[in-house]
Amino acid sequence: MSTDGQVAKFSAAERGNALQIEGLVKRYPTGVEALRCVSLEIEPGDFFGLLGPNGAGKSTLIHCTTGLAQPTAGSIHVFGHDAINDYADARQAVGLAPQELNLDWFLTVEETLDYHAGYFGMPKRERRERAKELLETFSLTEKRDERTRTLSGGMKRRLILARALMHRPPLLILDEPTAGVDIELRLELWHYVRRINQEGTTILLTTHYLEEAEQLCDKIAFIHEGEIVSQGSTTELAASYGVANLEDAYLKLVGRQELSRSRVEELAAS
Amino acid sequence: MSAAQIRFLTLWRREVNRFMKIKKQTIGAPMLETFLYISVFGAALGSRIDKLHGIDYVVFVIPGLIMMAWAMNAFSNNASSILQQKFQGAIQDQLSSPASPLELLTAFSLGGFMRGLVVGVLTFAAASVLVDLPVDHVLVLLPGLFLVGFFFAQLGVLIGVRAEQFDDVAIAQTFVLQPLIFLGGVFYSATLLPEPFQTLTHFNPVYYMINLVRYGFLGFSEADIALSLLALTGATAAIFAFNLRLFSRGYKLRA
Repeated sequence: MSTDGQVAKFSAAERGNALQIEGLVKRYPTGVEALRCVSLEIEPGDFFGLLGPNGAGKSTLIHCTTGLAQPTAGSIHVFGHDAINDYADARQAVGLAPQELNLDWFLTVEETLDYHAGYFGMPKRERRERAKELLETFSLTEKRDERTRTLSGGMKRRLILARALMHRPPLLILDEPTAGVDIELRLELWHYVRRINQEGTTILLTTHYLEEAEQLCDKIAFIHEGEIVSQGSTTELAASYGVANLEDAYLKLVGRQELSRSRVEELAAS
Repeated sequence: MSAAQIRFLTLWRREVNRFMKIKKQTIGAPMLETFLYISVFGAALGSRIDKLHGIDYVVFVIPGLIMMAWAMNAFSNNASSILQQKFQGAIQDQLSSPASPLELLTAFSLGGFMRGLVVGVLTFAAASVLVDLPVDHVLVLLPGLFLVGFFFAQLGVLIGVRAEQFDDVAIAQTFVLQPLIFLGGVFYSATLLPEPFQTLTHFNPVYYMINLVRYGFLGFSEADIALSLLALTGATAAIFAFNLRLFSRGYKLRA
């Protein structure tokens, strides 16, 4: 997979943190409080991991950032642009590859990319060139005229990532991008996202694969029951929980230390 | 072209592209339906029915059929398109873009409006071949049809946004819209109805829409034309404002 200067177009817009969240609260009409006063800072160029169990608030935080959910209180800024009240510039700066395979069944692979870029105001010639390049990058060129519903799960996952990259966002949000994909594709995606991060794209990743977070992220935050409970590098997180590695720190966070591999090995040996 | 223009045109193009990709269902089926109505009520039964207000029965029903085709297609296109996109989650791609509520609402509305326009124009062309259909008041007909199309396009958006399952759209279409359209006088003159049905017809908004379109084509109306235009303009503006409020609040679109 080859890359190009992802963020060139947005360099002028970059000011402040890539993502600045302050006091974010999301309470659903049912009364469920998915986010409780979350504050988070992601600096430009970071590869930031957001880890937590199912229902911790990871997707809600992403949805609030991208306009798919409406925060109850707090503020969100993307490269200095207000993402809640004056959202156009903030949304322009974000590419979202969601957890769900939310492709439009009526569109072909190429149309999916073309329409997405059109929604973000990209002119026709640029859309064509960018789509061609990403189809090639994600090995989808042969499928360009196929309807999206005919694609395999892995191809759908690649198309969703290509779609998120179409408008060259300086902040890429990957919500469990490798869930259910085979090992080859997972490694390919890792290589690709690592490279675009090195070229300047800030990345926010949520994943349940701790190895993925360890491999890719230079900063990690744990979110639990709607709150950011700790953050830092892998080593810093392990140290703050008084354990040896990220997995044990995570297990301590969710109160399941009995599942720790070292403990299981000790029990097996005794 | 500005980024905002590209964005709006793409949103709109997506809606037109959707119904053009399934045109057998979205254009072919309503054309066949209208053709069957003209055959049965016009050619077969029409010859046995006296003239209505001095107009051949088949000619009398065609303006109503054109209006019905325009309205039903504008409605069902938007209701289905929005519900399908919500169901697939694909609508998130538009919702997470910089598009404003006004841009989203207008583009969704124009999808159904365009489908209604295509079916309406094709119905008019086919009817013109079969019968001698006059166009007496084009300055009433065009704004009348525009308002009818836009009103039902808005109604389709409203039902599509509110709907949580496909049944919700079918129920609105079968149990509300279809009876209102049929009882609005597509196939008959309200003056033929016994009381209290004649008076009740005057409470059906579709009655005024049919009369507007019929007046545009045939120069005949049972309702006051200026009042009908005014009421329809008001109703269309009201539903548009209501929908815009729903889109701005993210009602059933944004969590």
